Amino acid sequence: MKNNSKKIFILTEAVLAVLVIVTAIAMAGEWNGQKRGRVSVIVRNSDNSQWSAFKYGLRMAAEDLEMEMFVVSTAEQMSVEEQEELIQWEIDNHVDAVIVQPLPGEEAARMLESVGDQIPLMLLEYGIPKEAGENGLPVVGPDHEAMGRALAEELLKDYQGDLQGKTLGILAESEESEAVRNREKGFLDAIEGKGGTVLWSLYEGGETRDQILAGQEETDFVIALDNASLISAGASSSSNDLHGALVYGIGNSTEAVYYLDVGSVECLVVPDEFSMGYESLNEVAEKLSSFSGTMENQTVSYTVIRREMIFTEENQELLFAMNQ
Amino acid sequence: MKHKAFRQWKERRSRGIQTTLMTAFSVISISIMLILGIVLYARFSALSRGEIIQSTTKLMEQTGESLEDYLISMRQISDAAYYNVIKDSDFSDQEQEIQEGLNLLYEANRDNLRSIAVYNDYGSLMTAEPVAIQKEDPDITRQDWYKQAMDETENMHFSTPHIQNLFDDNSFRYYWVISLSRVVELTTGGDAQQGVLLVDMDYSSISRMMNQLNTMNNGQYYYLCDSNGEIIYHHRQLQLSNGIGSENNQAVADYKEGVYDEVFQGQRRKVIVNAISYTGWKLVGVIPYSAFTHGMVNIRYFIIMLTLLMAMMLVFINRVVSVRISRPILKLNHSVMEYEAGKKPEIYIGGSREIRYLGYSIRSSYEQIQELMRKILWEQNERRKSELDALQSQINPHFLYNTLDSITWMIEGGRNDEAAYMITQLARLFRISLSGGRTIISVADELQHAKCYMNIQKVRYKDSFDVTFETDPEVERCCVVKLILQPILENAINYGISGMDDCGRIKVSGALKDGKVFLTVEDNGIGIPREEVELLLTDGSRVHKKGSGVGLVNVNNRLQILFGKEYGLRVESEPDEGTRVIICIPAIPYNEENRRLLENGRLP
Repeated sequence: MKNNSKKIFILTEAVLAVLVIVTAIAMAGEWNGQKRGRVSVIVRNSDNSQWSAFKYGLRMAAEDLEMEMFVVSTAEQMSVEEQEELIQWEIDNHVDAVIVQPLPGEEAARMLESVGDQIPLMLLEYGIPKEAGENGLPVVGPDHEAMGRALAEELLKDYQGDLQGKTLGILAESEESEAVRNREKGFLDAIEGKGGTVLWSLYEGGETRDQILAGQEETDFVIALDNASLISAGASSSSNDLHGALVYGIGNSTEAVYYLDVGSVECLVVPDEFSMGYESLNEVAEKLSSFSGTMENQTVSYTVIRREMIFTEENQELLFAMNQ
Repeated sequence: MKHKAFRQWKERRSRGIQTTLMTAFSVISISIMLILGIVLYARFSALSRGEIIQSTTKLMEQTGESLEDYLISMRQISDAAYYNVIKDSDFSDQEQEIQEGLNLLYEANRDNLRSIAVYNDYGSLMTAEPVAIQKEDPDITRQDWYKQAMDETENMHFSTPHIQNLFDDNSFRYYWVISLSRVVELTTGGDAQQGVLLVDMDYSSISRMMNQLNTMNNGQYYYLCDSNGEIIYHHRQLQLSNGIGSENNQAVADYKEGVYDEVFQGQRRKVIVNAISYTGWKLVGVIPYSAFTHGMVNIRYFIIMLTLLMAMMLVFINRVVSVRISRPILKLNHSVMEYEAGKKPEIYIGGSREIRYLGYSIRSSYEQIQELMRKILWEQNERRKSELDALQSQINPHFLYNTLDSITWMIEGGRNDEAAYMITQLARLFRISLSGGRTIISVADELQHAKCYMNIQKVRYKDSFDVTFETDPEVERCCVVKLILQPILENAINYGISGMDDCGRIKVSGALKDGKVFLTVEDNGIGIPREEVELLLTDGSRVHKKGSGVGLVNVNNRLQILFGKEYGLRVESEPDEGTRVIICIPAIPYNEENRRLLENGRLP
């Protein structure tokens, strides 16, 4: 009987002690107040205004999801080695995931696939071409082909679907870029059989682009397939260096909107960069919050803006994000 | 099933005093502590909730005042621009002065201002500060701020935030502004006309103020909306428009200043509304109920831990107290149990006065019981002894009478030598019979006694029978109750051979077998019928035809009283062939110690 009483006493004290320890651990965890994860974002030319809305989306998501997020400062040009070095540096700094804008080319794809085995990796804007049976790395970005198609539809709308006798020049930063290729494909598919002739395609980035652009053969339209190209074409148009060509393009900066506002650009297709930033971090957060979670591909929307629609309520919000 | 459950319940109930005390103490103390903890926590939560609401209200009042100050300063700028600069000036000849006046105002407040502009009733720009190129076709008359001013000419109008779409400063930027517009009277060439004075306030000033307010990370937030519920500032503005989040701002449009409870999208929350003067704007503070406990999670853990630690301490104290209370009772119980098991006769005396008294009482009871037991044992021994003595005394007078009768006859017949021999044998017989008052003697002495007796009897019966003794020497060194052979021999003579014509033979033999001594008296007399043999040892009340009447029953009783029921006499007899009486006793070596033990009624 005495032993029984002693056993009950020891058992009760042991159970209470275990509960105290569990509570103390929970309390310590609460005090540490760890964020749900640390995520690093690597995009080319990260300080450029084209990333404003994207970075604002990231910031908002980080606030909502209680995550620690930082955008790595990068230059306009970046080699695969540099990108790999940056990612490795971030991994060494114990980030939980990396959101990265892939560089064009197979070498970059191989590098990202290899890095993807070490850490959760979310790609921006476009993915890596997949081998048969592979799932590939997750990607958050707009439907580039649809954006190209939408741009073409706007052009066709302006000319009642007939481009007979009209000439076009296509301008983009890099031919290797999957995004540009898809946009171009979408655009060309949409104008096929409408009579338009593509006189030239210029894939050029950097400071010399404006000069080269001014030296191009005269066309009726210049189709700019990325933000930098659109700004370049808008600037050339406003300074009358495009021989009167009308600019249609895809862009996501206040400069692009400005050229639309001042009439240097006829039509602008704007990908929803805010959602791209928000959704990419959201996917990463879901992955980090569960052991077996997987990141899904997310397609963000785009908006077609004409000059007269810039200051509608919806588009003002786009500008609000770009202004951040 | 019901009985089983009841039995189990009863078994559980019959737990030890220490367990009962500890369980009772623990349950009571922990229950009180838990109730106290819950009540304190609830009270603390309510106080804390009230505190949070109060501090939020105060914070909102302060921010509201700051916003009001800011808006008043904007109104003052508008007033100054109108009354000091525009009203008394003519645009046709005083444009320079007007520009300078507006420039002064702008420069003095450029941190909060984006632009000051004056439009006429056609929507044409009259003047603006800072000087910038007006956009190609801003279509002023269709802009909300212009329409509002023209619709209600007597008031000042604050717009919702919007992008300023008036000037091109070549910076590629689009500014968020809140427009303060009013109708003014413009003089141009002496002609008065209506116009609109526009003061564009930089939205960043307001958003900065609101951002400073929205630094809580517990789910609590603040937003600003106009009287129609249109959001002016919300920290998740783009999430709201993208459908990622939602806000109950339309309902807030109907709220007056005060604190409201609402359930929005399944979430209970407190909504505090603070109205901003002049504008109809509402500063709204939202505190989800989860925010009340957000900061208290640690407090909750702390209280739980404190409760657990106190429970541990209470269990320990309860244990100590219950052990202290129950220890004397347990010790007393233990000593009683040991006493009952025959291990330790000491009864524990200790503990409180009552328990000590109980101990004394139990000890005294046990001592009394022990004394009584001793007394009973002594009385039993005495009774047995007296029984033996009585049996022995039954033998002696009868034999003495017969022998003395024979001696008398011998003396009377002149057979003096025989009489002397008889007396000598009788004397030896009595010496052994007395044996210093002992009951236990050696088998050798008993045989000697038997021999004396038979010698006397042989004289009495004129050698009409033969007696032989054959015993193992080992048997002679064993213990035996004295005077057991004599009655058997007497029976052998009286019933066996006295009536025979031929010479009778009596044989006394002794043997040791399996730790037992067997003394046998056999005769070749007339024997006993079978039905009588069975009664010889059982029926002590039979009337004996011959002899003293003290028969085998007595001998058998004496043996069984001393050695136990498994020992005693066995009689075998066949009519006309003889009788054999076998005495069976345990083989106990004769020495002083064994004799004493047997004398006291105990077997060695």
